[in-house]
Amino acid sequence: MLRFIVRRVLQLIPTLVGLSILLFVWLQRLPGGPEYALLPDDATDQQRASLRRSLGLDEPLTVQYLSFLRRILQGDLGTSITTGRPVLEEFLTRFPATFELAVSAMLIAVAVGLPLGYLAARRRGTVLDFAAVGGSLVGICTPVFFLAFILKVVFAERLGMFPSAFRLSPGLSRTNLSGFAVLDGLRTGEWDVVADALAHLVLPGLALASIPLAVIVRMTRASVLEVLEEDYVRTADAKGLHRNTVRTRHVMRNAMLPVVTAIGLLTGSLFAGAVLTESVFAFPGIGSFIYAATQDRDYPVLTGFILIIATVYVFINLLVDISYSLLDPRVRAQ
Amino acid sequence: MLRKSSRKPIALLAAATSLALVATACAESTREGGGGADASEPFVFAAAGSISTLDPFLTSDGETYRYSRQVFETLLRHESGGSEIVGGLAEDWEQSEDGTEWTFHLRENVQFHDGDPLDAEAVCANFDRWHNLTGGYQSSNNSYYWQSVFGGFAENEDEDIPDSRYVSCEAQDELTPVITITEYSSIFPGGFSLAAFGLMSPSTLEAIADQEVTGEEGNFTLPEYSQVAGTVAGTGPFTVEEWDQDQDEVTLQRFDDYWGEPAGFETMILRAIPDETARRQALEAGDIHGYDLVAPADVEPLEAAGFQVPTRDVFNVLYMAYQQEANEALADLEVRQALAHAVDRQRIVDTILPAGGEVATQFHPDTLDGWSPDVQTYDYDPELAEEMLADAGQEDLTVEFCYPSDVTRPYMPAPRDIFDVISADLEAVGVTVEPVTYEWADYIPRTNSGECPMYLLGWTGDYNDAYNFIGTWFSGYNSEFGFRDEDLFEAMEEASGNPDDAERTAAYQELNNQIMDILPGLPISSSPPSIAFAENVNPPAVSPLTQENFSEASWK
Repeated sequence: MLRFIVRRVLQLIPTLVGLSILLFVWLQRLPGGPEYALLPDDATDQQRASLRRSLGLDEPLTVQYLSFLRRILQGDLGTSITTGRPVLEEFLTRFPATFELAVSAMLIAVAVGLPLGYLAARRRGTVLDFAAVGGSLVGICTPVFFLAFILKVVFAERLGMFPSAFRLSPGLSRTNLSGFAVLDGLRTGEWDVVADALAHLVLPGLALASIPLAVIVRMTRASVLEVLEEDYVRTADAKGLHRNTVRTRHVMRNAMLPVVTAIGLLTGSLFAGAVLTESVFAFPGIGSFIYAATQDRDYPVLTGFILIIATVYVFINLLVDISYSLLDPRVRAQ
Repeated sequence: MLRKSSRKPIALLAAATSLALVATACAESTREGGGGADASEPFVFAAAGSISTLDPFLTSDGETYRYSRQVFETLLRHESGGSEIVGGLAEDWEQSEDGTEWTFHLRENVQFHDGDPLDAEAVCANFDRWHNLTGGYQSSNNSYYWQSVFGGFAENEDEDIPDSRYVSCEAQDELTPVITITEYSSIFPGGFSLAAFGLMSPSTLEAIADQEVTGEEGNFTLPEYSQVAGTVAGTGPFTVEEWDQDQDEVTLQRFDDYWGEPAGFETMILRAIPDETARRQALEAGDIHGYDLVAPADVEPLEAAGFQVPTRDVFNVLYMAYQQEANEALADLEVRQALAHAVDRQRIVDTILPAGGEVATQFHPDTLDGWSPDVQTYDYDPELAEEMLADAGQEDLTVEFCYPSDVTRPYMPAPRDIFDVISADLEAVGVTVEPVTYEWADYIPRTNSGECPMYLLGWTGDYNDAYNFIGTWFSGYNSEFGFRDEDLFEAMEEASGNPDDAERTAAYQELNNQIMDILPGLPISSSPPSIAFAENVNPPAVSPLTQENFSEASWK
């Protein structure tokens, strides 16, 4: 098991180097170049030329790449143009918000998706099955930002049940220990903060959950159906094993393999999906910050965040592989 | 064990549902307080972006200035709701005949937030600090407006920084600082009103004296005092209470010892909502009480729903530029004039721009001194346009026309729609238009470097001086327009260096006439950006320079 993990971790190195090269090439191809991004629109040509020199943009490409690599290895992702703070710091400040949102969305998706998919498979051909399959198709086809708008208009504006924006109500004082509002509130006993933070998570969490929820329902259903057809299930049933034991030990465990992979990959995509959801709900996480950065041409933020998100994605993949190998011993042997 | 786990999803679902129910109840309870009946209710205003620093000197960005104008005051300022320069911390002021000595008479009994009194020494301490900054502060990223207005520093550390225009600041008496500069420039007195030059208390300056901008070009780290609330003290109607960066929220508190009218709100919170639609919806849902940069299409629906959407006076201009080197036909004045006659600008104003927009006759709005009533105008006359093109031998003219694909600007809502109107007008007189679009990030460099023969662009002014508009484009060769007219360039520099107000204004009028004769581009419109407030707010006077003073606002 350990050897498997070590091997997979070592495989990350070429992936991450490849990623850094892609990013560097992208940086080189940026429209206009950093001198336009860093200076106001009315800066003179002379100011721009001097900035190019001081940024080392006149050096050979390999020299520039190596210094780029050295900087990211030291954890230096540059400084945001709009806020003037280090990109890594900006990321760490905003990450807890996005993490809370992504976790809420995943919790909703898993909590609803797994039982629904399982039930749909068990009751194949019933109204419940059609509703689950049809509903998930709508879920997959509906753009997240559209659903977000609908949820917001109905539940925030018309019904006033949930807040339409932000992560916490303006002016609400809270003790910031870790940046995670819900956790901090629970630890300090600030129940108003916990409730307020949860209220702010409901609508964006639902919007963000729509696609993973739909995918999980469909995958669980398909996977359970497939496993139900397997010989070993029939054998177990024929041997007179308790029905629930067969369903949980034999069916669910084996059916979970592709679903776990999907959940892992979906978790990665939640961070990307957060860009639209967060900007619709003015939720101050990395998503709305990236959205603002694209508007402001804040290239250091964009490149830094792409690097971080891509790395997170790669590591989630690693975790998926490891959990896969725990569920299915054959994977380790390969 | 497995049996247990099979129940987990149901337990999780139940937990999530109950949490959602608790959250709903709470959401309603927090929202009941809205409405502003209680004077201590915080006023929440949404801006389009985050603030970048607590020290406005270090930035050139408007969102930071919106915050800093409430906290720091400048020697001079613009009149409430207008663009005339009036006294700020200085009640009045004089300039020497040659325009190099500026004597300010400070208000009496003005206190900084930390209790320091405002006096001439305090003013000079600020200006001397700026002039003597070193290291990373000298990057144009961190001292953009100082360099634009006062040139360089006491000791320039980079050969590209221009020589300093600042000589000294002396305290003539307790309340009379005298600032000396090397030569007259029409940037003054407007320069003294820029938010970047908001004054800090002497104790603040002492506390931050050792803090440096670290890092290198493109990768600076700003000093701690500019990032963490607690050090900076100005004289404004509000103090900085907190800057919560993970919420993008700045909390301001009323300063009770303010020298002027005390602020109407006890607490004001500025929050960033980058998305235009999200700002509108947050106002509609009651989560905020006001926001800036209302989309023109949202103005009427918001008003119909009972919100207040005051419109600012115009202080911008949108133009269609001719780059004379990128297409040689455009070097011919007759062709430029013909194209100008071909465009129905009134239709753009009537159908695309927000109410209150108007056709521009020259390269700055009529609210600025120097606007000329006598410029040559180019009325919509497609027949004349066709004739002139034929005269110039350009019946089959083909031009590339650029417009940005992804932005709206205060002077240019819906660039694509504006382009469509112009393009149809040009095609109607026989011109073949080849549309080229770039994202904004690409657009500015390409138009700046002269790649686009014709394109749309504009400008919002910083202060009330014609040079802030026409000087930006026509004080020397500029690759955005691609022509050389030494007479015009010299006249422009001469006008901006003339200390006599009346003579300078006349010179600018003459320059505007001259510019519209040679027609380097066609000014299209000046249009007013709107700002929105909830029904229960008495809004501040709105400013054409987008410099609202929120202490004027209050709950109804």
